[in-house]
Amino acid sequence: MSPEYFLSSLLMIILAAFSAHASNWLYLAKLSSVGSISEEETCEKLKGLIQRQVQMCKRNLEVMDSVRQGAQLAIEECQHQFRNRRWNCSTLDTLPVFGKVVTQGTREAAFVYAVSSAGVAFAVTRACSSGELEKCGCDRTVQGVSPEGFQWSGCSDNIAYGVAFSQSFVDVRERSKGASSSRALMNLHNNEAGRKAILNNMHVECKCHGVSGSCEVKTCWKAMPPFRKVGNVLKEKFDGATEVEQRKIGSAKVLMPKNSQFKPHTDEDLVYLDSSPDFCDHDLKNGVLGTTGRQCNKTSKAIDGCELMCCGRGFLTEEVEIMERCSCKFHWCCFVKCKQCHRMVEMHTCR
Amino acid sequence: MAGAIIENMSTMKLCIVGGILFVFQIVAFLVGGLIAPDPTSVLHSTATKCIDVQKNHHKTKWFMPWGPNQCEKISSFDEALKRQIEANDIVFAVHIPFISKEMSPWFQFMLSIMQLDIAFKSNNFIQDNATVTLDVTMAYRNDLNGKWIELAHSLEQRKLKCKLPTPKTQVTEGQYYECDLIPLMELGSVAHKYYLVNIRLPVNERKKINIGIGEIKDLKLTTIFQNGGFTKVWFAMKTFLTPSILIIMVWYWRRITMMTRSPILLEKIIFALGISMTFINIPVEWFSIGFNWTWMLLFGDIRQGIFYAMLLSFWIVFCGEHMMDQSERNHFSRYWKQVGPIAFGSCCLFIFDMCERGVQLKNPFYSIWATDVGTELAMAFIIVAGICACLYFGFLCFMVFQVFRNISGKRSKLPAMSKTRRLHYEGLIFRFKFFMLITLACAALSVIFFITSQVNEGPWTWDETTVQVNSAFFTGIYGMWNLYVFALMFLYAPSHKNYGDDQSNGDLRVNSAEELQLTTTITHADGPTEVFRLAGKEAQE
Repeated sequence: MSPEYFLSSLLMIILAAFSAHASNWLYLAKLSSVGSISEEETCEKLKGLIQRQVQMCKRNLEVMDSVRQGAQLAIEECQHQFRNRRWNCSTLDTLPVFGKVVTQGTREAAFVYAVSSAGVAFAVTRACSSGELEKCGCDRTVQGVSPEGFQWSGCSDNIAYGVAFSQSFVDVRERSKGASSSRALMNLHNNEAGRKAILNNMHVECKCHGVSGSCEVKTCWKAMPPFRKVGNVLKEKFDGATEVEQRKIGSAKVLMPKNSQFKPHTDEDLVYLDSSPDFCDHDLKNGVLGTTGRQCNKTSKAIDGCELMCCGRGFLTEEVEIMERCSCKFHWCCFVKCKQCHRMVEMHTCR
Repeated sequence: MAGAIIENMSTMKLCIVGGILFVFQIVAFLVGGLIAPDPTSVLHSTATKCIDVQKNHHKTKWFMPWGPNQCEKISSFDEALKRQIEANDIVFAVHIPFISKEMSPWFQFMLSIMQLDIAFKSNNFIQDNATVTLDVTMAYRNDLNGKWIELAHSLEQRKLKCKLPTPKTQVTEGQYYECDLIPLMELGSVAHKYYLVNIRLPVNERKKINIGIGEIKDLKLTTIFQNGGFTKVWFAMKTFLTPSILIIMVWYWRRITMMTRSPILLEKIIFALGISMTFINIPVEWFSIGFNWTWMLLFGDIRQGIFYAMLLSFWIVFCGEHMMDQSERNHFSRYWKQVGPIAFGSCCLFIFDMCERGVQLKNPFYSIWATDVGTELAMAFIIVAGICACLYFGFLCFMVFQVFRNISGKRSKLPAMSKTRRLHYEGLIFRFKFFMLITLACAALSVIFFITSQVNEGPWTWDETTVQVNSAFFTGIYGMWNLYVFALMFLYAPSHKNYGDDQSNGDLRVNSAEELQLTTTITHADGPTEVFRLAGKEAQE
């Protein structure tokens, strides 16, 4: 999907002013053409944010660019993970960002919420490491806000700040509702699962620097996984997501697996309330594009195979000549010199 | 060494001394655990990608990632591709520390590790044995608006050891490699407030420089430094410990010189151990706060090395002097076989350290591990030192075994011996066993703490109280070896009852018995050996 198409579709969504949808802040992903968010007035103009988010925006101006990057990152990752499925995380010309699929409490909605809250946590943490955000790790959890605090005991991990920011920014809508409806509970759970996908997949790295560089003295730290890894983890959780329903235990409302035979879900698992449509047919009313015209793999028996992808409608096969770059010379950045090669391939598209 | 304090001390007094030392040990742990923060801090930075817009590559130009006079940035290299910016025009800029913070001399040292985020592309992947060439400069300033002053500039090569997390057939384009950490630089002092690192990865196709290193997405720098709070606690501890050990050393040496005989080997080596402990303790680091002494890190290594070598030699000599096999030792040259490996191993490590940290005084970006020859050389030094250590421990274990064998041999004969002989051997056995006990306890504690600190992550918390375990281990172990040396000098000093009784008690028999004890291990050039003297004594009786 071309970025222009993607952006224009996002714009459409915002114009549709779909106000009741909690993932509308993802609209920020679209703003890359607007320039950076550097003034408080810009916050008011940002569409898709609820009032509390606008206030947060004003208070944390320097972080907002990262929130936007987080949204972009999340959507890109979603589209990568679902590139071979019937629902390919495409955005629509009509309202909500991902169509009704995400408005309803489906598995797909669970993934989108999780990946977007993870995206914000990831992007904010990464922005912290650029060194120019004053609010990051150093001041939050370590004793003392002053430079003396830094001199005494250094900075705490930026990930703590990233996760905390994601919590307060992404979860704010559900929190303001009082977290009572089953949908709000589902969203909150999946948002947290997204952040957990980062936190539980941090890897420890160590450096020895004792006498002669021996491990007598060793410093270890936790490093963030690449976002692709987070996406892979969440995709796995998506495949094993639990269908839940709201139950009352005492005075608290909690989500429990619908099938009591299943073991209860953990904090890291994704949960959903409604079953998904089959995404086979074009259904604009529900925001489903359908699989007509999608490419499929003739030899695969999985979901990317023509059998499943085309929902049994059959597929067209045509011989196409594609131009490829070949025998390329690369530099590590920004320089590619290639020859052009022609190749004939069979392409299958769903009817 | 006859009639040490430990033998003449009543059990009660010994318990009291032990108790006091134990209290100090606990205090040493608590100081680290409760007052000090974690020993080191880590700063994670992602380098800002600056564009060198001046085509002539001015050497003096510095690239700031943010603030006034910041460089022209790009957010990703896709942008550079569109704008036709070349790899040679990209400068990675990192400012240490973060905005509105400043570094301080209390941080003692600073080392940086580089990581490259390299994306897998099926037609642009990392070739085998790839090396990356870095043109890296470092600058400092002490005033936010001041001029950057160059600290170091170097062209460095580093090996790129990367692997894909999944097999090549299954990976998708754009997946990141998992790469080993690349050590970038080590500074032995943090004398300035602000540091700036500018890294270029120059490409030269003809010379094959930086070709075949994949598609770099980001450059990350992890900076480690000692926490100011930990440094302060550490200095305070050193400042307190120096006079304590110094006083007991003076006291110990006075006792020895007050005796009529010249000091024996064991007494000398305990004193030498005290000197090397004091050498570590003397808080010369205080000067690093005022002066930019980059050699402090190297100096600290040397001091620790001397202490370890001395401690290991001491153990050998102590075992040898308690062998009880009637052969004459009391001379350092008798132990060449055991001390030789220590000396040789220490020399190897010293040369290795000079090759690494010594050269880093000149070029903070230097690493012996960066080249193949260097790696082999370094490994050779370390392996030789390792063999020496194994040899040494073999000897030590054998000697301890011999002593225990002799002890059990002497034990069975004890009742048959004369009182003097029995007292002499009982004293030797008690001294040795006591020493073995505390040495083993100290060594075991060190090993336990070392292992715990290797697996431990972060502080431990008990209801609201946070205990910085790593700091506690450092101060605790440091305090423990100080107490060990202190206890050795105190308990193994010659007992004053020897010469005290000499004057007050005119009893010839006691006097001669003491004299006998005193001379048991002293070499007389032509005098009778211990056995003959003892035999003569028995004959007299």
